[in-house]
Amino acid sequence: MKKIILSFLSSLKLTITLLIIIAVASILGTIIPQQYEGGESFRHLGPGLVKAFNSLQLFDMYHSVWFIILMGLLSLNLIVCSLNRFPTSWKLFRKKPSLDRSKPFENLPPDRVLLIEKNRNEVIDSVENLLTRKYKRIRRKDTASTTFFYGEKGAYSNFGVYVIHLSILIIIAGAIIGSLLGFNAFVNIAEGESTSTVHLGRQKGIKKLDFTVRCDKFSIAYYDNGMPKEYRSNLSFLKNNNVILQGPLLVNHPITFNGIRFYQASYGSIPGGQANITVKKGNDEGTTIKIKQKDSFFLKEKDAKVKILRIEENLMSMGPAVLISIQTPESNMRFWVFKNIEKIRDSIPGLFKKVPKFNPGLFKPYYFKLNRIESKYYTGLQLSHDPGVSIVAIGSFFIITGFFITFFSSHKRLWVRVDEKEGKSRISVAATSNKDPVGLKRETEHLLSHFKNELG
Amino acid sequence: MIINTTILSWVTFIYFGSAIFYIFRMVTGKEFFGPLASFIALAGLIAQTFGLILRWFESYKMGIGHAPLSNLYESLIFFAWTIVLLYLIVEWRIKSRNLGAFVIPFAFLSMAFASFSPNVNSRIQPLIPALQSNWLISHVITCFFGYAAFTIACGLGFMYLLKGLGKDEDSRPFLRFLPGREILDELTYHSIVIGFIFLTLGIITGSVWAYSAWGSYWSWDPKETWSLVTWFIYAAMLHSRFVRGWRGKRMAIMSLIGFASVLFTYFGVNYLPGLHSYF
Repeated sequence: MKKIILSFLSSLKLTITLLIIIAVASILGTIIPQQYEGGESFRHLGPGLVKAFNSLQLFDMYHSVWFIILMGLLSLNLIVCSLNRFPTSWKLFRKKPSLDRSKPFENLPPDRVLLIEKNRNEVIDSVENLLTRKYKRIRRKDTASTTFFYGEKGAYSNFGVYVIHLSILIIIAGAIIGSLLGFNAFVNIAEGESTSTVHLGRQKGIKKLDFTVRCDKFSIAYYDNGMPKEYRSNLSFLKNNNVILQGPLLVNHPITFNGIRFYQASYGSIPGGQANITVKKGNDEGTTIKIKQKDSFFLKEKDAKVKILRIEENLMSMGPAVLISIQTPESNMRFWVFKNIEKIRDSIPGLFKKVPKFNPGLFKPYYFKLNRIESKYYTGLQLSHDPGVSIVAIGSFFIITGFFITFFSSHKRLWVRVDEKEGKSRISVAATSNKDPVGLKRETEHLLSHFKNELG
Repeated sequence: MIINTTILSWVTFIYFGSAIFYIFRMVTGKEFFGPLASFIALAGLIAQTFGLILRWFESYKMGIGHAPLSNLYESLIFFAWTIVLLYLIVEWRIKSRNLGAFVIPFAFLSMAFASFSPNVNSRIQPLIPALQSNWLISHVITCFFGYAAFTIACGLGFMYLLKGLGKDEDSRPFLRFLPGREILDELTYHSIVIGFIFLTLGIITGSVWAYSAWGSYWSWDPKETWSLVTWFIYAAMLHSRFVRGWRGKRMAIMSLIGFASVLFTYFGVNYLPGLHSYF
């Protein structure tokens, strides 16, 4: 029974099947919207299907039990395969074949044999010289009529595949450590505000940090063509009300504090921006003030209280506007002041007659002008703590090393036999390699031509 | 039109010419077309290199300097560039022009898509914050060299299957012209190894970049997922060769399947929601 399970776990069929299933499942995950993408966009599927998908955890597929089981099986398969094959590789690495074997020379093609009209002893010395130049350790055995040489290269290449498989296991281990001991979280902080609680991502719930983050300012810079150039949050990190670290947070430039990395993830504007308004009388310069929603000021001459009721970034697609109310002892009035009032007036003839509420000069003799709305932003931060990252990085480094060993080196073994035939010295060259037959052929031919040049 | 895009759209025609001559050579069996095709491909590669460098300079002149690897247009152009570069290296190494008829058309198609599709914007655009990273260049270069190697493997796979259609001693010139099956098989394997290493490097550099931009080195974004699927396909292919000794026709078919997955990773993913939307 144990044997059956082991042979099942170590079979290539299982590997390929698992790879296919994981691939198909992963593809499914790119088609079915995943929960953490935030959208409720799967509502159109209908309640029955949603329920079925939910019970199969298809909306958080990559973290579902069955996906993790598949990954676990793949790892197990990898481990069992590697353990199964390792002794063979180790033998290949350690065991040196006996030197006077004749088997490698059976069925040797004629172009691997050289006949040289020289004394055998002379030939043997030259052959040994040449071989020691090409191979580090050459072993030699003399019998009465024959001399054997054996050399090998790249025995380590047998281990490349284990380096790769171990690297993959290290990467998976790093990922598991990250998901068990790490966390992902997000938090929105308005400019000027601070917080020490954040929302956990997948785990859900709230996490309390042992320090406080303050967003001093958030700003966006644009290119001339209107594309965003920079999102910048000026953050302060505080402990016991002391600022420990301050710095700008940019996309691609995270800040690490207390082992937690902070990322610039999103932003938005919040009500509570300031309106920049100029109040003019006749042709004078006017006075400019900055004012928040619900705040008010007085126009003494008329004994009028001016209150900003609403600040809108974009009212009815006509741009920024503020709703102003004016209270005097005699009257009460409300009207909108648009930033682009000239444009709007030009495009709708007789606007002020039709809609007096859009006339910024409704309260005579004053004229209100909205210069701009200074919006207040919040910055969206992503937080992550992942103790598995360095382990994954080590695995990634070794996987590339493993590739180079596996694909660009090969274990080459060379047997050279020098004996006599019909009064001539005969050199026979046999070579084997675990991979790269083309390279082996090239190298062997190269060696033969060297022999020919030096001896012939 | 800016001068670099003019040059690059001309390169499209140069590659077209080269592909035509490679195909002529194969169909007619006249060696005469061979050197001509190679020469034109090389001329195209030089012109394209010049166009790419010019584009780089122009972006600096506009004050938004960055390597020309930042949107779909630029990636298509770079894809064609890597295909032709890699192909010419292979041609020079194996001293055979047979592969050209199967590979250079891909370079032409990529260039044509970039230059003439109304959906591809050829203007030099500034880098949005997410792309402002030193990892952009290494990530794009490794990925596209991988894609190009897989393209060559796919061309070889086609060739192998075409060869399989005829009998071994086929008299039709264009089949006779193709190299032997063993050589094709060996070449496919080498291309896939190169592609596999570059794809792995592309995934790793992408992860490093994601770790500094998105807060996680792996977030199962569709492009990431599909690159992993592609990686699995080629990994399965290498294993079936190493362990089971699969050769020939099976490998040829798998190199086509792998390439389909590469194409989906590159283009298809754009139709799925995700973070890689700018490519």
